[in-house]
Order: sequence, then C-alpha cells, then structure tokens
Amino acid sequence: MDLTTVTVALASKSYDKLADICDNLMLQVAAEGISYQEEWPYSIHLLSHFYVNDITSARFLWKSIPSSIKESQPEVTAVWKIGQQLWLRDYAGVHEAIRGFDWSQDLQGLVAAFSELYTRKMFQLLLSAYSTISIQDTALFLGMNEEDATNYVLQQGWTVDHASQMLTVKKQPIVTEQKLDPSKLQRLTEYVFHLEH
Amino acid sequence: MEPLQALITQIQGLSSSASDISRLHSILKQADSSLRSDPDRLSPLLSNLDPSLHSLGFLFILEASLVFPVSKQQAEISVPIITRFISACSAEQIRLAPDKFISVCKTLKDQVTLLEAPIRGVAPMLTALRKLQVSTERLTPLHSEFLLLCLLAKCYKTGLSILEDDIFEVDQPRDLFLYCYYGGMICIGQKHFPKALDLLHNVVTAPMSTLNAIAVEAYKKYILVSLIRHGQFSTSLPKYSSSVAQRNLKNFCQPYIELANSYGTGKIAELEEYVQANTNKFESDNNLGLVKQVVSSMYKRNIQRLTQTYLTLSLQDIANTVQLNSPKGAEMHVLQMIQDGEIYATINQKDGMVRFLEDPEQYKTCEMIEHIDSSIQRVMALSRKLATMDEQISCDHLYLSKAGRERQRYDFDDFDVPTRFNI
Repeated sequence: MDLTTVTVALASKSYDKLADICDNLMLQVAAEGISYQEEWPYSIHLLSHFYVNDITSARFLWKSIPSSIKESQPEVTAVWKIGQQLWLRDYAGVHEAIRGFDWSQDLQGLVAAFSELYTRKMFQLLLSAYSTISIQDTALFLGMNEEDATNYVLQQGWTVDHASQMLTVKKQPIVTEQKLDPSKLQRLTEYVFHLEH
Repeated sequence: MEPLQALITQIQGLSSSASDISRLHSILKQADSSLRSDPDRLSPLLSNLDPSLHSLGFLFILEASLVFPVSKQQAEISVPIITRFISACSAEQIRLAPDKFISVCKTLKDQVTLLEAPIRGVAPMLTALRKLQVSTERLTPLHSEFLLLCLLAKCYKTGLSILEDDIFEVDQPRDLFLYCYYGGMICIGQKHFPKALDLLHNVVTAPMSTLNAIAVEAYKKYILVSLIRHGQFSTSLPKYSSSVAQRNLKNFCQPYIELANSYGTGKIAELEEYVQANTNKFESDNNLGLVKQVVSSMYKRNIQRLTQTYLTLSLQDIANTVQLNSPKGAEMHVLQMIQDGEIYATINQKDGMVRFLEDPEQYKTCEMIEHIDSSIQRVMALSRKLATMDEQISCDHLYLSKAGRERQRYDFDDFDVPTRFNI
C-alpha cells in the first residue's frame, strides 16, 4: 500500500488537505481489493477530520474501524477519545484527552498543530460569546493553567479583576472587506432596474 | 471456427470507428441470448479483450457471464474484473448499451455487499456514474446505487459530492425516489439539515399514482428533520403534491405526527415521556437517533424563543424556563448556540446574565453581495429552464390533443365563432 501522498502532506504540514487525501486514498485501495485495514493510518485519518472540524466524518470513520484494531492499537483509541470530547462539546475534555496520551513520533506534529488550532478557536469563541468570564473557566477552555491563561488573554487586551477572579473581554473590531467591485454593483443595479420596469 | 471464437474476432476487428461499433452492436444484440445459454464459458474469453479498446464487446460478454447468486469465492474473482472494467472502459462505447452497463454495476453492488465490503464499490461506482452520465443534470439509476454504497460503507462525505449537482432530468420515478431518500440520509448523517429537508421534500411531493414505501419512510424522516430544523411541522403538503400523498401519508406515520404535536406544546417532559413510550416504534424504523436529536433540539428552540421576548435574562431564569438542571447547563447551551450561529448573545459570567443581540449582518460586505448575486444568477437560470420546458410542453402533441379536446368541451367561444361566420 502506497502512503506517499499522506506522508508528503504530513511532512509539508498541509494538514487541512489531509482529510481529503486520506479519504480518496482509502477508497482507492479498497477498490483495488487490497486489505488495507491492518496497516491503515487510522490515527492520522481521524485527526485530519478533527483538523477541518468535520467531527461527523471522524465519527463514521471510527464506526467503520474493525474492533480488532480498536483493541490492538491504543493510539487509535486515544485519538478517538479526543473525538468523543469534540462530539460532546466538552471543551476542557478535549485538552485533557490531548495531554492524556504519549503520542508517537509520527503523530506529534499533527496533534500539536490541532491542539494549537483548537486553542485559537476556543479563544475566538470566548471572544464572541462572553463579556466577562472567570479565570478558572478561561483556563479550562484554553487548556492552560490559570496563570498562563490570564497572561494569554491579557496580551489580547482583556482586563483582570483579581478580587472577583473575573476577566473582562475586550472585543476586537471585526474587519471585513467592504470595498466593492463596481461591476458587481452595476449588475445588481441592472437587476433592480429590470424588476421595476 | 467456433461461434464464440468468431464473436471474439469480430469484437476485436470492429471496435475502432463509430460505424464499425454500431455494426458490432447489432451483432452483439443478436448473439446475446446464445451468450446467456452458457455463461460458464464466457469468463475465460474476457482475457482476449482489452476493456479500454473493446469496451462494448467486453461489456456484453461480462454482463452475460455474471450470474446471481454467487458464492463469496466467485465474487472475490468477479469484483476485481468489474472494477477494472469500469475504470478502463470507454464512455462512448458503454453509453451505447446503458442497460447492460447498469446491470453490471448493480451486480458489483450486490457482490461487494455479499462480501461485506461495500467500501470496495464506492470509488468504482462513482467512476461508473460519471462515465454513464451525459450531463450532470441527468439522473442515472447508478446515483441511488452509489449513495446506498456510501451509506453502507459509512463514507457519507463522499456521498455529498454528487448531491451538489442539481438534477433536472429523470427517466424512472423510482430512481428519483431512491436518490432523494438516500441523499436525505447522507445529509442527515452529515448534519446538513437544510439540504436533507430539500431532498426528502422532493420525495413526498413527487408525482405518484400509488403510495410507495420509499415515500412513507421519507415522510417519517421529513417530519423529524423539519422539527430539528424549523421547530415545527405542518401536516398539509403543498398543493402541487399528489393527491395520494396528501390523503394517505399521514395515516402511515401516526407516531411521528403525534411526536410533532407533542413538540408543538414546547414541554420537554411531555416530549420525553412520549418518546419513552414509543421507543420501540422509532427503533424498528431505525429513526431513534434522529428522534433523540429532535428532543435535544427542543432546548435550543425554547432558548431561541426567549431571544424574541427578552433583551437580557439571567442564566438561572433560562435554566428554569427551558427546564435545564442548572445555570451552568443553560450557559453551555447558550454557548453552543452562539458557536453554531443559531443565536446572537453575550454571556456575562460575573452577573450571571445573558444579553441577546441582533444579527450583526449588515448585508454590505463583498461576500454578501457575491452571495446575493450568485443566488439571483441561479434563480434566473432556473427560470430560463422552466420557460423552455413550458414551451416544449405546449408544442407536445399528446398535450395539445388532450388540452384541445378539453377546451372544445368547456369553452363556448370556440363554438360561437364558426356559427357567426355562417351567417
């Protein structure tokens, strides 16, 4: 079984393309009648789905893994533990599951990249959903200890109230591209003109 | 020379130009019944043919050699042959005998299912579908087979790829029913509920003269997905749906209608009790997972309802109103809904309050303009299609003769004109 495309994508850190690469390769080898399951890099495949936030695909993949592999490969089970927490939206549990296993050499880069991405996503979520939040919860969401978490958000302009152990969120103004292509506007104008006459 | 050997020679000789191939096609059609009489002798012959050059001949012999049922060992041999043929064959040649090709592909599906390895058929079936399809707007009988394999192999994401094509042409009603039903299930699995709702809606509103099982099952899922997506369900189908569906579908889905009624009251405890009492029914329909999603969607629905009434509300009050155990539970629900873009709100942990906000979309970003523009383009394309179809129908002989007869019967003006001329 030729896994070159997967290893190339891993080496070049093209993690966002990994899920499609794995999906297609799996269908291809399956169509050729190769019994791929024993050697298939299930851990990488599962993580690649997490990376692009496609938990449903990861869940279906997990369901298709033969139970013998689930039993014999603890790393695959450990990866799915992350998936379970993502599925249940146990935000702190995700970080715990990431920390809770000694990942093999092949996986370390991918796990670290996912962990970083997830932390950033959690920060964005806190930013959009909270006006004030406790230091303790912030630490859980970001998967850090309280001190690191406080420092992390202070750098983003949040303020801390030590008496109540509360952080005040500083909203970042959302910058969106507002410059319009005049031809687009022209087209919309033509539609409206057409409708009114 | 032996007749079979002669046929092979003819296939080898007549597979290059279009006129040769059409001659070959008629020869093969004549030979078809004699081929079938002795399927065992056919498989060895295939090695004399190149699937990419002699696709049509290969197809006829392959199709005749496949008999069902087969043992697992036989399937292990024939599956690779079919798979290789599908990937090598020439699309122009196999389109001359679409029925044969479809039959071969269906055999592939049956055999990989028999081998309990549906995933082996997924990629070949997609290739086959693309080769058979003249345009992406045309539904083939292989669409539903492909989606079924995706479901069995749990390759839901792969299934989504063909659901993006808009279908406008259908030959067999059954193909459309199955395509939309399986497609709906794929979308449900991937939680693409709006698309799932569209597909299932197509099943229940499609023209039908008698009720069919696909429509009944689709209607059950349609009810559940409507509740998840819109929080409500109306039992009246649109006017353009068949009268059979309008009259009868409800009667076959009583537990689901009652579930929707119970959902309508907004009382989570009652809903849970109802589901508990009818678990067996939902389970035997394989819909229990979806029913559970309906139940949990009710919390969201109730929270969403609060945003219409209040500007700020304490987490405790939210928990009380929507019957969640604790303020923390309410906070997590609100957070998930913010994450999914289902409500706009900010949580203030210090005061234990939630402030509900307006949708921040101001419809002036480039992205939004792009979106509006592409939507208008799509609607315009659709409208053009409808106009062409309308024109076609109004030129259709059958339609005109029927419409003409009816006008004569009802329209008095038609009779008046000639009488006036006579005077």
